[in-house]
Amino acid sequence: MKKPLLLAFLLLTLILGACGGGSLEGEEVSITGALIGEDQEGFRANFEAFTAETGIVVTYQGSDNFEQEIQIQMESGDTPDFALWPQPGAVVDAANRGMLTPLEDLDIDLDEYKSNFSSYLVGLGTVDGVIYGGANAANLKSIVWYQPAEFEARGYAVPNTWDEMIALADQIVSEGMNPFCFGMFSNGASGWLATDWMEDIMLRTGEGVTSYDKWVTNELKFSSDTVTNAATLLSQIMHTENYVVGGTDAIVSTSFGNAQDPMFSKDANGNPGCFMHRQASFIPAFWPEAAQAGVGVETTVFPFPVIDESLPKAALGGGDMWGAFNDRDATKAVAKYMLSAEFHEASAARPNNARLSAHTGFNNDLYSKDINRILGTIISDALSANSFRFDASDLMPPEVGAGSFWKEMMNLAVEGPGYIDTAMDNIDKSWP
Amino acid sequence: MNEKKQSKYLTFGISTLALVVFPLLWFLSQAILFRELTEQLARNIVVLIAIPFGSTFIFLLFLGMNKLIHLAPKDTRDSLEARMFVGPSLFMIGLFLFYPSLRTIFLSFKDRYSQEFVGFDNYLWAFTDAEMITTIRNQIIWLISVVILTLLIGLVVGWLTDRLNKGEAFFKSIVFMPMAISAVGASAIFKFIYEYRPPPLTQIGIINGIRVSRGDQCWNNREISGEFKGYDDPSCINPVGWLQQRDLSALPISDTLEAGGWFSNALINLPVNTLLLMVIMVWMYTGFAAVVFSAGIKAIPAEIMEAGQIDGASELRIFISIVIPYIKSTIVVVGTYMVVTVLKAFDIIYVSTRGDLETNLLAVKMLDEFSKYRNFGRSSTVAVLIFVCVLPVIIGTALRERENSDL
Amino acid sequence: MIRNNQKWYDKPVTKLILVSIALTWIFPLFGFVLSSFRPGESIKRTSWWDAIYTGRVWSELSFQNYQEVFRAENLDRSFYNSFAVTIPSTIIPITIAAFAAYAFAFMEFKGKNILFLFVVGSMIIPLQMSLIPLVQLFKDGIEISGIQIIPALDINGTYVATWFAHTGFGLPLATFLLRDFMMGLPKSVIESAKIDGASNFTTFFRLVLPLSVAGIAAFGTFQFLWVYNDFLVANVFLGIYKPENLVVTSHMSQIAAGNFGEAWHLRTSAGVISILVPLGVFFGLQRFFIRGLLGGAVKG
Repeated sequence: MKKPLLLAFLLLTLILGACGGGSLEGEEVSITGALIGEDQEGFRANFEAFTAETGIVVTYQGSDNFEQEIQIQMESGDTPDFALWPQPGAVVDAANRGMLTPLEDLDIDLDEYKSNFSSYLVGLGTVDGVIYGGANAANLKSIVWYQPAEFEARGYAVPNTWDEMIALADQIVSEGMNPFCFGMFSNGASGWLATDWMEDIMLRTGEGVTSYDKWVTNELKFSSDTVTNAATLLSQIMHTENYVVGGTDAIVSTSFGNAQDPMFSKDANGNPGCFMHRQASFIPAFWPEAAQAGVGVETTVFPFPVIDESLPKAALGGGDMWGAFNDRDATKAVAKYMLSAEFHEASAARPNNARLSAHTGFNNDLYSKDINRILGTIISDALSANSFRFDASDLMPPEVGAGSFWKEMMNLAVEGPGYIDTAMDNIDKSWP
Repeated sequence: MNEKKQSKYLTFGISTLALVVFPLLWFLSQAILFRELTEQLARNIVVLIAIPFGSTFIFLLFLGMNKLIHLAPKDTRDSLEARMFVGPSLFMIGLFLFYPSLRTIFLSFKDRYSQEFVGFDNYLWAFTDAEMITTIRNQIIWLISVVILTLLIGLVVGWLTDRLNKGEAFFKSIVFMPMAISAVGASAIFKFIYEYRPPPLTQIGIINGIRVSRGDQCWNNREISGEFKGYDDPSCINPVGWLQQRDLSALPISDTLEAGGWFSNALINLPVNTLLLMVIMVWMYTGFAAVVFSAGIKAIPAEIMEAGQIDGASELRIFISIVIPYIKSTIVVVGTYMVVTVLKAFDIIYVSTRGDLETNLLAVKMLDEFSKYRNFGRSSTVAVLIFVCVLPVIIGTALRERENSDL
Repeated sequence: MIRNNQKWYDKPVTKLILVSIALTWIFPLFGFVLSSFRPGESIKRTSWWDAIYTGRVWSELSFQNYQEVFRAENLDRSFYNSFAVTIPSTIIPITIAAFAAYAFAFMEFKGKNILFLFVVGSMIIPLQMSLIPLVQLFKDGIEISGIQIIPALDINGTYVATWFAHTGFGLPLATFLLRDFMMGLPKSVIESAKIDGASNFTTFFRLVLPLSVAGIAAFGTFQFLWVYNDFLVANVFLGIYKPENLVVTSHMSQIAAGNFGEAWHLRTSAGVISILVPLGVFFGLQRFFIRGLLGGAVKG
């Protein structure tokens, strides 16, 4: 019935398209990912200049169920052009299933890519020597948020070593307050914050980066001394009485996005709910609006304390990596743009931005916030010096990294230090 | 002879054409046509035509089949017509429900990417993995508690509303209304009630709000004569993350229970968060039970009720000895429906905890295995488990259907 | 039943129990709906019952949250999507089921009982059993020993996929209920029509369908609400990566389940909006809805 008309219509479109002289004007490229809220707005802003120049319209839709939804989409064949994953492991998995287009086929200069983003990062998205993942943003996790004014008012010194931090914590407790904010509830992902703590500790104990890499591949077991020691130090923070505001209950019940709120509210005596919150650099996007304005000034960071002073300084971080599902011309253009040093310029200028470019050539002065400049520089330096390590739970197989590791951390919080050995054993047993 | 054979072939040809080829073509053309339209037309136009398109295309199927059948010789037309009437539904059930289910069973014996056979490995995993055991335990708790509670409260409401002269419809509507709300909406509503915020923040969930306000020196950050009074006084109790409580051990009541005998000790293991999530489903479905029971109770012949009254039996006695036996089959039907609903429960868990902290149910676990752990074999195994739990229910219903149709 | 025996009716105990149950049932909604009218900061600062107690709540109420949710979130688009999915997904299964129910109720053919058992049995197959392979079917078609029986349709992400999925899932119950209903129709009328020589088609259209309107409306309301409130099928078959494809439930879950901030002012207002349509349908068509349930339940 309508079919002949449709065919004619189709033919017309094709002819018109061809007559357009190969320009990509009006082409649509869709990206999906886990970034929501401010991060989403910033990401979208990055494409404005690109669209103005090339005419390609890029749409981005974020969802906090993204990781599960993209699986269904890959199964149904109804995929976007790009998926921006918060961990490279998922990129590898999609590549293994034959879903992704290698970067080579997208006309990307691979050598340039490696030198811009560090071979470590690029390696994370590589399968059997073929590169599938496009590095995008990085975030720094080896930082502790605090409020300098509160420290000064009480005569606290910023701790440089673990022992100093424990001493400070004890002092705060003796003054009737709680030193740490700690909340790790997250729909379907509860427990990842504690894994971050363990990773930071692992990078600074044992053999540093070397033992860390072995741990990621399970060459170094969870039940080994190094890792058990890391869990013990973590437990010191979680379980020592009064260290965490709200106690272990708060640890498992508070959503990670709300965990830092006590720092921003003062009780009747003018004391904040907590003084230190170890959390990644993307967390300001979750603060109450009033607090967001003071990021880098009222609320800023000090680096995660050193534990073994003989080890070189390392940085723990995470980052996004995208995969492409086809090799259209428009897709290629967008891919090239996303890997350029100019990407992230628009979001960097935004006042509430918390995303940092992983491109070592990115001009860090473009960040409108001082704090981002500091963090961005730390990241670029670490990447160039190969002392940047990706979040381990994101690199481990999903049954562990997204399963038993997270779950056992939650169990550990509730059960107490006596549970450490059982937890480590359980995780080892679950390794596929 | 030849004529008969000819007409037989003709009939066969036409029936194949009408009942197999045509519906298939219709299905394919609707799918492809609509897909093309979606790709070619602007979004708004697609939405506008989607509704009339989808609603009317189906009639073409039956009209077309009817026309084709009229080509066949008259005497065979009747049986062809029967098949034409029934055909599409069988076709769709077979294609969209039955075939995929068989495939799921097939996949449950394969590995994570459906490439190699692994025999019963996945089933072994399903019954030995710690989280699966917890999930199955939860499913059992849900089955027992939700079904019993819904039936119980539904019976009470159905019976009592019938005892009213006025206002019967009003009460039934109120209890029935949550059924119209999606499970996602209901979960959001209850999430608001169970909400936890770390101290010293204001508690916006009423349960924690009450908990935190207990004591003379404790307020939920209420403004009293200009100042905000909170609950940081040492005599005050901290709020509790209700959806994160896997048992009673974090609550003060556990102290009293620990001092008791073995039963009290066992009571400490009550999975609070699972129970709280079950409340949501009970809230949603009790009204359904009440309405069905109410209709069933009204169907009880008046003479029997009167007889009980005349004999001077108390209301409770009448309820137990007359009403319940009379509506026994209704109770079974409602119970069956609830069992199946509980086995399929997904939205509630997905929106509130996504299965964390031992609240998981089979339907969510199935999707988790598929999307989070990317193991298609295990995901199919969990789906089969759900189906197997439902099997006794099928058999029961089928047997009852047999009885009824024999009557 | 005789209703003038005062001993049995309107007892105060009865009323007390019912009122308590009714209050308990309404209560969760109350705080939720009230909060949807309060500004976000107020919700987090003062709990809603404290706000009532101190009397401050009356000055705070406004429609601000609703405006924000509509403007910023494009909720209206999700409504269109919900209807575009729901209406055909109600009409198609009803049509197919009506024909099949007629056949099972009034026609005789070989294998009728076995086929009906097949339909009834399918009623209890949980949709999880068929979800993933159905998605694959819509994408890749069916191939048996190298022969492509159904070609790769690639219809996931369009409304058509949801229509067929919902049809498949809803047909068993629809057929069962409608047949039940039709069996209850006066057989004599239909017999006489047949004797007069009317074809099955005519009998179906002119006689049985009009008589079955009550049953059809009943199941229709039930199916409408079920599909409208559905979350899983829309997520899987319509997809959610394009914001234009979100249906109201998916959209609502993104707002409600998100860890992002504590946007309770958006969650509550989006929640209220999302339940308005089903509540409206429910109250308007309550009679039919209940009839539908009863049809299947009581006759069993």
